[in-house]
Amino acid sequence: MTLSNSKYECMDTDDLEQVQLERLQSTLNRAYKNVSFYRKHFDASRIDVSTVGAVAEIATFPFTTREDLGDNYPYGLFAVPLRDIVRISSSGGTTSNPLVVGYTKNDLRVRDTVTARFLAAGGVDETDVLQICLNPGLSNWGRALKEGAEDTGASVMPMSHMSTSKQIMAMQDYKTSVLLTTPSYAMHMLDVMETSGTDLKLLALKAILVVGESLPRETRDALESTLRINVTAGYGVSDVSGPGIAFECGEKNGLHVSEDHFLLEIIDPERGNPSPPGETGEVVLTTLSTKAFPLIRFRTGDLACTVPGACSCGRTLVRISEIRGHTGDVLTIRGVKVNPAQIRRIVEGMAKGYSPRFLVHLYQRSRQDMIALSLEVNDAIFSDEVKMLEATLKDLRNQLMKTLGLPVTIRLVEGRTIDEYAKPSGGVVDER
Amino acid sequence: MLRIKNLHAYYGRIKALDNVSLHVRPREIVSLIGANGAGKTTMLNTISGLIRSARGEVYFEGKKINRLAPEKIVAAGVSQVPEGRQIFGPLTVLENLELGAYLRFKKKEKTAIAEDMVWVFELFPRLQERSKQVAGTLSGGEQQMLAIGRALMARPKLLLLDEPSMGLAPLVVRDIMNTVSGLRGKGMTILMVEQNARASLKISDRGYVLETGRVVLQGRSDELMNDSDVKRAYLGKDYKTFWEGRDRA
Repeated sequence: MTLSNSKYECMDTDDLEQVQLERLQSTLNRAYKNVSFYRKHFDASRIDVSTVGAVAEIATFPFTTREDLGDNYPYGLFAVPLRDIVRISSSGGTTSNPLVVGYTKNDLRVRDTVTARFLAAGGVDETDVLQICLNPGLSNWGRALKEGAEDTGASVMPMSHMSTSKQIMAMQDYKTSVLLTTPSYAMHMLDVMETSGTDLKLLALKAILVVGESLPRETRDALESTLRINVTAGYGVSDVSGPGIAFECGEKNGLHVSEDHFLLEIIDPERGNPSPPGETGEVVLTTLSTKAFPLIRFRTGDLACTVPGACSCGRTLVRISEIRGHTGDVLTIRGVKVNPAQIRRIVEGMAKGYSPRFLVHLYQRSRQDMIALSLEVNDAIFSDEVKMLEATLKDLRNQLMKTLGLPVTIRLVEGRTIDEYAKPSGGVVDER
Repeated sequence: MLRIKNLHAYYGRIKALDNVSLHVRPREIVSLIGANGAGKTTMLNTISGLIRSARGEVYFEGKKINRLAPEKIVAAGVSQVPEGRQIFGPLTVLENLELGAYLRFKKKEKTAIAEDMVWVFELFPRLQERSKQVAGTLSGGEQQMLAIGRALMARPKLLLLDEPSMGLAPLVVRDIMNTVSGLRGKGMTILMVEQNARASLKISDRGYVLETGRVVLQGRSDELMNDSDVKRAYLGKDYKTFWEGRDRA
């Protein structure tokens, strides 16, 4: 498999640690100098940034959480003035405020570099036609992947709103050699191809690169054996930089973390101390090169473990396992992170002060994640008039679509149905 | 080749270096840029042993050198071209160059020294023309060439250059930078301190930005040249204060 940057991907451990230390020190210096949140945070913990003498000392710093990002909405955590920002990426986020990430020109370049590593490791080069199929909730990733892919020189078809059958048509006619999508959408496409009688032999496809969701072994096996292609996975976090923070190589035994740009820790999510090597814990990342939006010990909420030993691909970058779940309430639906609390806020906003009970249903339809909301019928919020009721529901659907970037089916149910599940308001029934 | 970890150093009673780490790989040209008083010269003086570090480590080719005497560090292969040239004005060009090989005279390396003299004269033909001239009568650019030539006479592996462009006319600066860039082709590794950030980044592979004794940014030279902070602070772009309009409380 191709290396995009052998100097950094195969760096010897001492050299890598030196690079990490230098970048960590300057990141801390900048964060302390330019971001009042970090200054207060570090001062409160009595940490002097100028005493950090080893990468491991990052463990003495306080964590940064999604709540911190929400509290400092929109620009509070930016470490450069707006005039240096060339891209503002906003997405739903998982708190009451949307997530806003700013990039300087160089931050974008770094993001494209790490994205290109993921793509190159998956076999993408300038001879490829690359098709990106992601849902609108992942549109920032779609852009990042497009730009990273253009860096590799491939011919890129950016994400679009085409239906699945149109996407398949494009894949056949335009001779797509690499598909970039989520595992579940890849499976959905495969189903549609099979039912519509698409001749798989006519496809020029050689690889599928997946992001957004973890990749179950059965999905990989099904895609690889049916389509006779290679499937490799990438891992990203929107808050930190986007896709390509970690990526699989040809060995398909864990995802290499781009440690020269992101410092990895795995912690016990309950107690906050480092997890023993090989044990599953929460992924915590510190940015090492980011200028506009530095994150110090950011708790991603994703659960994974490190993969011990050296990889036979030659890369020295540490490996993590597939994401095995999430801490807290956060759900991943078609690669989009959703916190049930966001749904509660939208529903309550519509109900104007009243707090209706509801259930969130997650299920699969033709291998795609679906999300449905079972809302208790209640006189206080719903009018008898069908027109009014329809308008309210339409409004709610739109609101949810706007915030989550996902289509949500709304069902009206009686209170009993919700009682059956005996969960507090906003309970989640995951049947996937 | 050079690896520095967590260096702290004082200039008098002022903390001039505050936890600085950096590295230079073989055949690299690396620039240290920053405003006056940022700690650039202190950095070079600490590497060459003129200033003792308070804390931290300096490794040269894997060996720790930061407790060694300056002459031991020169012998290990690190030569410094000091700020303001510091040539010996009353001596001739030739005598200045011979002094550069001072440590080697003791080792009776006469033929090798003679060869190096030829090499330096090839690099700087002007010096050969003026080899009998008293160094104090040379022009600024020639004096800088002499200072570099003198450092090369110690046969260093790593050259530390302190403000080679200082006080020189733009055309002469270009000449000097071309020479420095050419030294890399001859197998030399260079760590350079410069206020003329543009000129030095142009010929460097990477750079570090020092601010009040701390590294606040590092990266490839092309990245640094395009960085807004670097442009504002060191490339002479006329910007108002960086933080205007932002609450820094």
